[in-house]
Amino acid sequence: MSADTLHFVVGEEKKVRELLLDADVIPLLKGALAAGASCARVTGDDGEELWGACAPAGRGELIRTLPLLLEGEPVAHLELFGAPEGRERLEPLASLLIVALDTVLRNSLKRVLTTEIHTSVVNSSHEELVAMNAELTKSEARYRELAENLELRVKERTAELRRTQAHLLQQERMAAVGQLAAGVAHEINNPLGFITSNLHTLQKYVARFCAMLQFYREHLELEQPRERLVAEAETKWRELKLPHVMADVGDLMAQSLAGAERVSRIVADLKGFSHVDESGDSVVDLNQELERTLTLLSHQLAGRAEIVKELQPLPEIKCQGQLPGQIFLNLIQNALTHAGASPRITLSSCFDGERIRISIADNGPGIPSALRGQIFDPFFTTLPVGSGTGMGLAVVWEAVLKLQGTVAVADAPGGGADFIITIPAGRN
Amino acid sequence: MIEFDEKERRMVLKLVYYGPALSGKTTNLLQLHDLLTRQGRGELMVLDTSGDRTIYFDLLPFFLTAPSGLKIKVKVYTVPGQVCHDATRKAVLQRADGVVFVADSNRAEAGSNVTSFDNLERNLSLVGLDIDSIPLVIQFNKRDLPAAVPEEEIRTTWDPTGIPVVLASALNGVGVSETFAVLAGLVYDRIDARFALAATHGLTRERFIAQLTSLKEEP
Repeated sequence: MSADTLHFVVGEEKKVRELLLDADVIPLLKGALAAGASCARVTGDDGEELWGACAPAGRGELIRTLPLLLEGEPVAHLELFGAPEGRERLEPLASLLIVALDTVLRNSLKRVLTTEIHTSVVNSSHEELVAMNAELTKSEARYRELAENLELRVKERTAELRRTQAHLLQQERMAAVGQLAAGVAHEINNPLGFITSNLHTLQKYVARFCAMLQFYREHLELEQPRERLVAEAETKWRELKLPHVMADVGDLMAQSLAGAERVSRIVADLKGFSHVDESGDSVVDLNQELERTLTLLSHQLAGRAEIVKELQPLPEIKCQGQLPGQIFLNLIQNALTHAGASPRITLSSCFDGERIRISIADNGPGIPSALRGQIFDPFFTTLPVGSGTGMGLAVVWEAVLKLQGTVAVADAPGGGADFIITIPAGRN
Repeated sequence: MIEFDEKERRMVLKLVYYGPALSGKTTNLLQLHDLLTRQGRGELMVLDTSGDRTIYFDLLPFFLTAPSGLKIKVKVYTVPGQVCHDATRKAVLQRADGVVFVADSNRAEAGSNVTSFDNLERNLSLVGLDIDSIPLVIQFNKRDLPAAVPEEEIRTTWDPTGIPVVLASALNGVGVSETFAVLAGLVYDRIDARFALAATHGLTRERFIAQLTSLKEEP
């Protein structure tokens, strides 16, 4: 690279005319005239005059010729003329003048050499810098492109993660609904079972009623004596065990109706819980939502868990109807999972004029403070692999966030975890 | 080569003293200037220095004339040794006809020698010169130092390369003209091969070296 950029070669021969300027030489020659010489001139190798200064009176006699050296070589000559009688004075003048010219020439050469090498060094450094700058610009462009791509990649990944997370949250909700559905199915199957069995029985009873009616119809046509008809009818009546059937049928009907009512109540609860009929926001009472959730979980709770309710009247809030149910369902199920063999779950609610505070506390082992920062993170679970998705509390977190509330965990009195949900209310 | 003008019967050669900082390149030139006869050489020109350090270069010109009338001017330069003056070194190396590498015998400077030699090799190739063919002499200077690397060690390292090594103590004037004479011989061989100095100009190797390195009479 540098071979191309260095145009000046150290050591190139210089000509005396390149090095000495008129302004350097003429004053010196004129000075010689002023000192008494009649003519002073510098001639080149070929004898041609390079610089000269002569008095108008004429040249006079050549007093002295002295060589002017450049890098040790004679490159020019100084000729000094004057009146012969002044020779004694003029000869030292010539010596002095040649020393002066020599000094000017040497310094001029040094100056030219240093300037040229300096220039070439500066040029080559400049060109190196330009080249380096070009390289840097290129690499900067490359890095910028990388950085931009990186940002894009990060964005893509983030969006992908968000989608995955949203998907998982949705799955968790579906899983919760699935669990709920299993419980509800059990609840519905019970009454449905005895309703079906009752209907079967009623079917048999109806057959007997029909047989009895058929008997009357046939025997009326026979126009038998009335006493005989009564006696035969009585025999048939007893044969068909109608006294017992008559006594049972009322109970069966009442039982079945009650069962059907229970089913329709469960369905109503489920609908209420899921707010499946509502679109957009609806007005809900959180106490009622708690009760509904408990009802839906009744088969899991019944005979197994002790539920303590300390509910105070709450103002209604406006929100997406299914959110409170999601929160309560997940928290109560969470409590049931962790509370051990004989769970006791304490539900309490209160309203301080601005915020609704709902607490769901259990008598389980509680949550170590080190884990409290993580439990609401997606996928965080203390359960063995495969047992928990780690999404339950994430669903709670998300739902509470949608209610513009907060959820925190504290120690329940007497051990256990106490989940406290605070939701702003009152203004609306 | 700087210049060969057949019509003007003039040839200008360039020799360069290269080497790490403070190895004694300028001292070599100062000693040559002092040791050699006045006849046939010009004055030593020392370009600006910073303190004792060369920042541009030094120049000592020599002159000789072949029997044919061919005038030969030999310009001997030093380069600045400090790492930061690399561009100046490249500029001085351009079109050089021969190089003396002045190495520092001080064992502590072995690393600087290697770095500087690598730098010479690289810069030579950058200015289009071939380190294998350019006349090159290595001078191990400062032999007077107590910590000097033993000669045996130097020979073991350098003899296999075929590059001539001269031991010197430039401050004391030892080995200085010898180094210059060895380089002059190598340069002569190279120039003679191209320009037939002996055949055309009647200039023998002995005469070339003798004219460049004739010592002053002892006072």
